[in-house]
Amino acid sequence: MKYMLIIYGNQELWSSIDPEEFGKEIAAFDAFNKKYYDSGELLGAYGVADAAATRLVRVTDGQPAVTDGPYLETKEYLASWYLIDVDSEQRALEIAADCPSAKFRPLEVWPILHEASRETGVDIGVV
Amino acid sequence: MTAGDEPRAAGYGTEDLLRELAPQVLGVLMRRYGGLDSCEDAVQEALLDAAGQWPASGRPDNPRGWLLTVATRRLTDMLRSDSARRRREDASYLATPPAVLAGADAWLADGATPGSDDTLTLLFLCCHPALTPSSQVALTLRAVGGLSTAEIARAFGVPEATMAQRISRAKQQVRVAGARFERPAAADLGDRMRVVQQVLYLVFNEGYSASAGDGLQRADLSAEAIRLTRLLRRLLPDDAESAGLLALMLLSDARRAARVAPDGALVPLVEQDRARWDSALIAEGAALITRTLASTAALGPYQLQAAIAAVHDEAPSLADTDWAEILALYQLLARVSPGPMVSLGRAVAIAMVHGPAAGLAATDELAEPLRRHHRLHAVRGHLHEMAGNRAAAAADYARAAGYATNAAEKRYLMRQLERVR
Repeated sequence: MKYMLIIYGNQELWSSIDPEEFGKEIAAFDAFNKKYYDSGELLGAYGVADAAATRLVRVTDGQPAVTDGPYLETKEYLASWYLIDVDSEQRALEIAADCPSAKFRPLEVWPILHEASRETGVDIGVV
Repeated sequence: MTAGDEPRAAGYGTEDLLRELAPQVLGVLMRRYGGLDSCEDAVQEALLDAAGQWPASGRPDNPRGWLLTVATRRLTDMLRSDSARRRREDASYLATPPAVLAGADAWLADGATPGSDDTLTLLFLCCHPALTPSSQVALTLRAVGGLSTAEIARAFGVPEATMAQRISRAKQQVRVAGARFERPAAADLGDRMRVVQQVLYLVFNEGYSASAGDGLQRADLSAEAIRLTRLLRRLLPDDAESAGLLALMLLSDARRAARVAPDGALVPLVEQDRARWDSALIAEGAALITRTLASTAALGPYQLQAAIAAVHDEAPSLADTDWAEILALYQLLARVSPGPMVSLGRAVAIAMVHGPAAGLAATDELAEPLRRHHRLHAVRGHLHEMAGNRAAAAADYARAAGYATNAAEKRYLMRQLERVR
């Protein structure tokens, strides 16, 4: 079963951590990543740029238009996500609890429902 | 029986032969040299060599001997380069190859029947209780099933590097657990058998629950599980639960073609076109479970589930289904192996025998344990619909769709919801 673990945050939160602690936190994240890559359960770990760097793309009358945004009203937004493949929901929750940031902010644990086949592009209906 | 004297199905090719020989060759290496990691890697290398060379040069007269010789050579190469890497002091390793090869030749020459025992021991080792289920599955498919890491990764929709990591980790855990290449003690045999059966059933379901999109490659997993369970049954012909497991797989697999609609939505048993069921598989599975139940010393959950599947499969139409028989089997199953999913199946049977209200009442105790499980809500939706309460049915179908973790099931439940709304 695959799950996405999502961490929300904002620039303010990261800036509030003092530099020495920040180094320790990064090391803790590195160790977390290594631990679950080694167990074969972590498929990928990603972090996004600040919301100010995002763009919106929409197609109107066949013409793509690119603008700044989204202008988020929420204070916290998507910061990082992990894709894991585990034996049970219980295991997904354990890994989420082991994430170094879980002591600051809750992680969201989303079961993955749809996945496109690499070969055919068709939804393989993750089991 | 050896690989050489069994009847071959038409279309039995090099790949089938290689996959059948893989655990036998690995068993010999393990018995001689120990060390699952290096022996298994060596066998994989030999399989790759064979797959690359045999089509051009023709299949050797003694394929097993060929594989064993090449795998042994690969193993000595590996041990040599390992030891060279570690410290270039162990001259005895460097002197080993001819002796090792002589050992392999001796094994071939003394006419030892390649061990069905070895394959069984290997199966127990791969299904070691120290491993997580996904590691047991991956290791079994590779070491006993002879599948490549890439094939296993594709079947489970994970990157090849992830699967390689998982397999090497599993081998490491087997070593750390101190597992040896030997049959489990008699006292542990029952528990260890249950793990093996569970792993094979997991592999089967992994292939069976998938929707149409990748039908082909996932169906291969079910076929592989059936192949390995046939093997298990051949190794332990007197084990009733192994027979029950094989019958259950055959009777479920018989319905495969009718199980998924062209758009990938799930078609539940009651709506399936029975003309599309595989009658040969049904006949084989039903005969096997009938024979097994007639002589079983220990009635177990796989035998009972197979018996239930046989009642469904042998009914010419839904209306002809012997629900009283199914209910009786569920009562037995609930005694042998109680659990919320069994109770849910029994609730459906109760509804079919005593009406939807009785069925709904039987699901009440499951409200908490299966609160987040789509199956409970799907069943309740169906029973409300049977009772003519469309509003309650719609609410339950909507809940069920929300909890579904499989795209095919979700599509089916959304359709049910639209239908009753």
